[in-house]
Amino acid sequence: MSVVDLPRYPFARAGSLGELCSLVHERCASGERTVLLAGGTDFMAEVSQSPRRDGPLPLVVDISRLPELGAIEWDGRTLRLGAGATYRELAEHHAVREHAPLIARMTSDIGGPTIQARGTLGGNLATASPAADGVAALAAYEPTVVLASVRGERKVRMADFHTGYKRTSRADDEIITAIEVAPPPPGSPWHWRKVGTRQAQAIAKVALGAVAALDGTRITRLGLGMASVGPTTALLPKTRALLVDGSPRDVDLAQLDAAVAADISPIDDIRSTGAYRLHVAKALVRELVRSLANL
Amino acid sequence: MIAKVTLTVNGAARTVEAPPLTRLLDALRGPLGLTGAKEGCGEGECGSCAVLLDGVPVNACLVALGQCEGREVVTVEGLGEPRHLAPLQACMAEHGGAQCGICTPGMLIAAESLLRSNAQPSAVEVRRAIAGNLCRCTGYDRIVASVLAAAEALRATRGASVSAGAPVRGAAE
Repeated sequence: MSVVDLPRYPFARAGSLGELCSLVHERCASGERTVLLAGGTDFMAEVSQSPRRDGPLPLVVDISRLPELGAIEWDGRTLRLGAGATYRELAEHHAVREHAPLIARMTSDIGGPTIQARGTLGGNLATASPAADGVAALAAYEPTVVLASVRGERKVRMADFHTGYKRTSRADDEIITAIEVAPPPPGSPWHWRKVGTRQAQAIAKVALGAVAALDGTRITRLGLGMASVGPTTALLPKTRALLVDGSPRDVDLAQLDAAVAADISPIDDIRSTGAYRLHVAKALVRELVRSLANL
Repeated sequence: MIAKVTLTVNGAARTVEAPPLTRLLDALRGPLGLTGAKEGCGEGECGSCAVLLDGVPVNACLVALGQCEGREVVTVEGLGEPRHLAPLQACMAEHGGAQCGICTPGMLIAAESLLRSNAQPSAVEVRRAIAGNLCRCTGYDRIVASVLAAAEALRATRGASVSAGAPVRGAAE
């Protein structure tokens, strides 16, 4: 463990988003690294557990109480989730519960209460681990990631945000400020299932989030997000194409399994095996289709 | 780099001079002299270091001291005193909820957080509240029983706060 490294890091607190954008931009321009610290659930654990590092350390900037990042707003069409809102805050917010119930429900499966009290969507998006429950659930809403920099605001579709394992299309001097969701009408079906070793304090072996809209028995909208089955959160485009515009009662299960298998690339790792993940992924999608068929 | 951070700990204003990325856990156990919160895993998995930060349970191993300027921290020492235990602490002792003691401070903080918002929790709600706190001794049943007993005792006394009767004060004073 290298808790000894933590006291060596230079530290600053951002007073405003504008100030933060300037600071990060100037440091990028001069080739200096910056770490934005929100809940610390990734960074603090990672530094504490890593070997001691030599050479210059990045500047750590506390953004955990930056007001521009904390707001959760509903304007009648779009739900804007502040990137720095904690999972606990998301779960408790009336607009999230009403318009994005999948996100409110998913939060209770993240770590435990102490992790939910600190972790943020912005942090999980930036870290870009494919195992993040929050990102899988968010992906089902087909959201837009809002980025800010000295050049102004830029919006990126979630589908274009994660470009590889722990890689994103965010420029080094851009800050994730919010996530915008255009949800289906309240009461639309949604589905969440996480499979892990335990109910709490366990990263997913596989998790599936889904948000749908139906016209009669026809699926008119379907967003999917699956965790821990590839280098990025899997959006399952082939599975989605097979299901949208059809009835969940008429799905050919062999075709469905084949689509899921073609959409993911699960691997063996410390938490599970590729073979088990493939099996579970197919089962979770079948479960989703069954639940849509039984509405 | 040394920062001067002023925060409220167990109701008292305290100032710590330390590197800003010092873990809140190390600031509490070192310069602040409060060794109640324990280091178990050091990576946010076990909950032994749980404290309330502005009333919300967090792992003190994942919070940087520099993030705590002006904030309010309550540790297990803030729940009661050795000669005047809070109902939660007394029930944990009476019902066998504390064995080796490493997880106990975090369990008490998680339970305190629950009882502040839910005076009559079910056993399932207690289990959910302590889901981030690992215990390798008790099998959890006695901890759940302790929290339920404390909730009942608190309802009986109709105390205004969960720590009713126990003055909130830093143990290092």
